[in-house]
Amino acid sequence: MYGLEAISAQNGWAMAVAGALIVISGLTVLSLVISQLHKIAAFLEKGVEKRSQKRQAVKTAPKEAVVPKPPAFDTDEAQSRLKPLVAELGESFELTNLYELANSGELPHVHLSIRSLRESGVIVPAGDGRFVWRD
Amino acid sequence: MDLLIQFLTNTGYYLVDFRNIIMLLVGSLFLYLAIAKEYEPLLLLPIGFGVLVGNIPFFKGFGLGIYEPNSVLHYLYFGVTTGVYPSIVFLGLGAMTDFSSLLAMPRLMLLGAAAQMGIYFTLLSALALGFLPREAGSIAIIGGADGPTSIFLTAKLAPHLIGPIAIAAYSYMALIPIIQPPIMRLLTTQKERRIHMPDMREVSRTEKLLFPAAGLLLCCFLAPASIPLLGPFFFGNLMKESGVVDRLAQTARTAIIDTATIFLGFTVGASTQADVFLTPKAVGIFFLGAVAFSIATASGVLFGKIMNLFMKQKINPLLGAAGVSAVPGSAREVHQVGLKSDPTNYLLMHAMACNSSGVIGSAICAGILWSFLV
Repeated sequence: MYGLEAISAQNGWAMAVAGALIVISGLTVLSLVISQLHKIAAFLEKGVEKRSQKRQAVKTAPKEAVVPKPPAFDTDEAQSRLKPLVAELGESFELTNLYELANSGELPHVHLSIRSLRESGVIVPAGDGRFVWRD
Repeated sequence: MDLLIQFLTNTGYYLVDFRNIIMLLVGSLFLYLAIAKEYEPLLLLPIGFGVLVGNIPFFKGFGLGIYEPNSVLHYLYFGVTTGVYPSIVFLGLGAMTDFSSLLAMPRLMLLGAAAQMGIYFTLLSALALGFLPREAGSIAIIGGADGPTSIFLTAKLAPHLIGPIAIAAYSYMALIPIIQPPIMRLLTTQKERRIHMPDMREVSRTEKLLFPAAGLLLCCFLAPASIPLLGPFFFGNLMKESGVVDRLAQTARTAIIDTATIFLGFTVGASTQADVFLTPKAVGIFFLGAVAFSIATASGVLFGKIMNLFMKQKINPLLGAAGVSAVPGSAREVHQVGLKSDPTNYLLMHAMACNSSGVIGSAICAGILWSFLV
């Protein structure tokens, strides 16, 4: 069988038309999808960028220095505890001697007590590395 | 004396007939075109030498010929008859292909679709000439101008025609510089050939990564029979674009595709044994192949002109000729013809977009024909 008769007998027209339509519609859909691909890509990239920025921020943000707050400290009490020891050391004294003496007397918060008295002007430098007591 | 006579009657000199001589001349012509003219040497050289090997006359029954079970050539030919080599070639092609231009200008994909019309026109022509439907489908796919796809579909539908169809497909691919330019010039005006295409936008990496997945899903859901070709193709492309498996992508686009091409070309050439190849059907296949290729080129160009009727931004209709999937030969030819009309008109990148869509289109067509005719 030859010619148009053969084409019709073998269902050729239907195969050709359907095949052509399928490939054209398939590639048309694919081209439509890829024409929108840049939007999807931009959306994804935005998400990734946001996440990485967050991660970066967490990584680079300086951690707040965790400085333990000094316990509430009563300067008057420290003054009353250390004054007798200063009297033992004489009018002028070295802070190391005061520290050792207070430590051996097992007074609480020795270092903190001396520091607070220095800051509050009770213990003042007398020169040559020695200190005097001022009430 | 008997021994000597027996030996002489088993030599090729004694067994040769005129058909072998014709095929040896064809093989030599392929080698000449590959080496002297550099027409698709990667294909024509292995095929040409394969033709010489396949047409050395021998005494049947020694287990030497490609069609004799247990011969070495028969084992190598296994990759053709099962469709393994074409799949491997597609893997390498995917790892080579840069879809940037297609992603930047998706409407060029329609030209790749239009160029597939050659396939369906040839299907009708082959049926009209009396070929059986499966043979007609195998011959029609030559219009896709894609050697591996033609071999793949023929192996599935009409394995006895692999030799002539493969030779026809590859011959016409090699003859692109001769076949396509006259058709392009005939169907376009000088003004149309001078149309400049706009610059392409830059394509992001994410787009390139999304495309193989989107392409695979859309194409293979539509024509699942194209999975053996498009699966490896998009996989190869994803390997390339991901950038995380450079070693694998590099191997796919060099060693793997080269190995498959060598064995594919050589065994297809060797399958053209004169007694199997030189038949009236082969002549019909060559004639229809030329028709298919020409119609495919013409449909692409004409569709480009039709698109210009509706689009604000005109496209150069020459690009339609690159819609056939002969990569990169037809793109190069479009570029050359464009340059001849206007030396400042660079169409190569745009033509590559049509070319890559042609590869996808012809693989889909192969899947469609397979599912229609199996």
